[in-house]
Amino acid sequence: MILIVDDKQENLFSLKSLLKVNLYDVDTAISGEDALKKILKNEYELIILDVQMPGMDGYEVAENITGYSKTKDIPILFLSAVHIDKRFITKGYTSGGVDYVTKPFDPELLLLKIKTFSRLYKQTKELNDIKQHLEQKVEARTAELTETNKELEISNAELQQYAFIASHDLQEPLRKIITFSQIVKERFLHDEGSQYMNRIISSSERMRTLINDLLSYSKLSVSPEFVLTPLNAVIKDTITDLELFIKDTNATLIINALPSIEIIPDQLRQVFQNIISNALKFSKANTQPEIKIWSDFTKEKSIESHAEEKGGYFRIYISDNGIGFNEQYLDKIFTMFQRLHGRAEYEGTGIGLSIVKKIVEKHNGIVTAKSKEGEGTTFIIVLPVKQTSKHAVAFNT
Amino acid sequence: MTKNNRFLLVDDDADDVSLFKEVLEEVNPSIDFISASDGQEALNVLRQHQNNSPDIIFLDLNMPRMDGKQCLTEIKKDPALQRIPVIMYTTSCQSKDIEETMLKGAICFITKPSNLKELKSILSSISQNLRGNLEKSLRELSNTTSTFIVC
Repeated sequence: MILIVDDKQENLFSLKSLLKVNLYDVDTAISGEDALKKILKNEYELIILDVQMPGMDGYEVAENITGYSKTKDIPILFLSAVHIDKRFITKGYTSGGVDYVTKPFDPELLLLKIKTFSRLYKQTKELNDIKQHLEQKVEARTAELTETNKELEISNAELQQYAFIASHDLQEPLRKIITFSQIVKERFLHDEGSQYMNRIISSSERMRTLINDLLSYSKLSVSPEFVLTPLNAVIKDTITDLELFIKDTNATLIINALPSIEIIPDQLRQVFQNIISNALKFSKANTQPEIKIWSDFTKEKSIESHAEEKGGYFRIYISDNGIGFNEQYLDKIFTMFQRLHGRAEYEGTGIGLSIVKKIVEKHNGIVTAKSKEGEGTTFIIVLPVKQTSKHAVAFNT
Repeated sequence: MTKNNRFLLVDDDADDVSLFKEVLEEVNPSIDFISASDGQEALNVLRQHQNNSPDIIFLDLNMPRMDGKQCLTEIKKDPALQRIPVIMYTTSCQSKDIEETMLKGAICFITKPSNLKELKSILSSISQNLRGNLEKSLRELSNTTSTFIVC
């Protein structure tokens, strides 16, 4: 609908007739005050406004209209017979008009203008409606996602708790199976019976290792602090823990000087422990294991990027001369319970490297491996030298 | 006549109590063995026999009525009992349990071994060093066994 505002009935009448003939819906107001009342009540696609009126003049009406958020988009077309001077026209535009037509006007041209403005208004309105609709949809979707996220967080925490309790409570009966099997074996069995009992005991021991590994995996959900730690000290601790294993396998370790970076020391010790014990475990028969650890800095969190001394990322390389693996299985080795080798060949639970991956990700880093069957493996870990937040984020999967 | 040494084991698990008793008898038959099946019973036993206190207490963590942590707190609060050394003896090896009990005054944290030989060497080391440097001997033991021992 189009609103015509004029204090003179004859003007209203002639313009109204012109528009009606051209199939427009028309409303009229005989003063500025009257116009404002109507604008607030009804919806108009265009306002044709006389400039000179008693009381509130056209400029004031326009300023009022453009001041309201509800009405600010309605195009205003000024129509004046008296104020045809340039400064009045300018004032018309600055007060919010989209056009200023002086009388006498050409009806055909005026109709074309009206048609254009009314179409523009309708298009703008349509766009605004779509925008509003989209905003509402986004809001609703965001609320939905937040809710789902919250639920996921809760169920994730519950699962971790569950895994912890389950594995913890599994330890107790298992320990007894081992203890009593040993007693039965030592006191009552010989030869064949004792061999079967040995199998029970070694299976139970394997299950215990599995439970312990699961336990440490679920423990990773707590969020301790990052501490600036010298990496060589962490590796030294790891080697002390693995002392017997290293001695048994007659392995040599070559460790370069490494810097201090912000880590959770206990967790990174576990990373080194798992990778180094893997290297010892998967060594080639009749070959003395040799493990090398060295590092560089780089600017990007990337395995391939150039080494740069002042980079914000630290890259650790751990290489061995073991049996290696086919790189097509690269994804598999970091997934829980995936083993590339039969249990008879090499022992292990298949959790070790998934713990490595989880820890590295908690440190906002990445880990990968390069390998060829029969030619050894090099693990590469990229970690930020400085962590942005003091605490590790709880892990959501 | 010298008084026999006395070990108190506080544990609700009857299997563990009987194994412990069996191994202890084998290690040193002259040691008196007493047991309690939860923290509250342990406190009752300790308070009833104040002039014949045990030389050492082995304390499990998870028990009904009163758990090991609470029992440890009560023992350390009681002037008549606080001097008796307490060793935590449990399935858990969670760092928060270890930290908490060591701070409360336990001298050592031992995870129940599944191997009787290891239990035997632990108990024999403890019985031989009761009057000596118990912590030091246990620390040395922790290097040679696969049992989890923290002192």
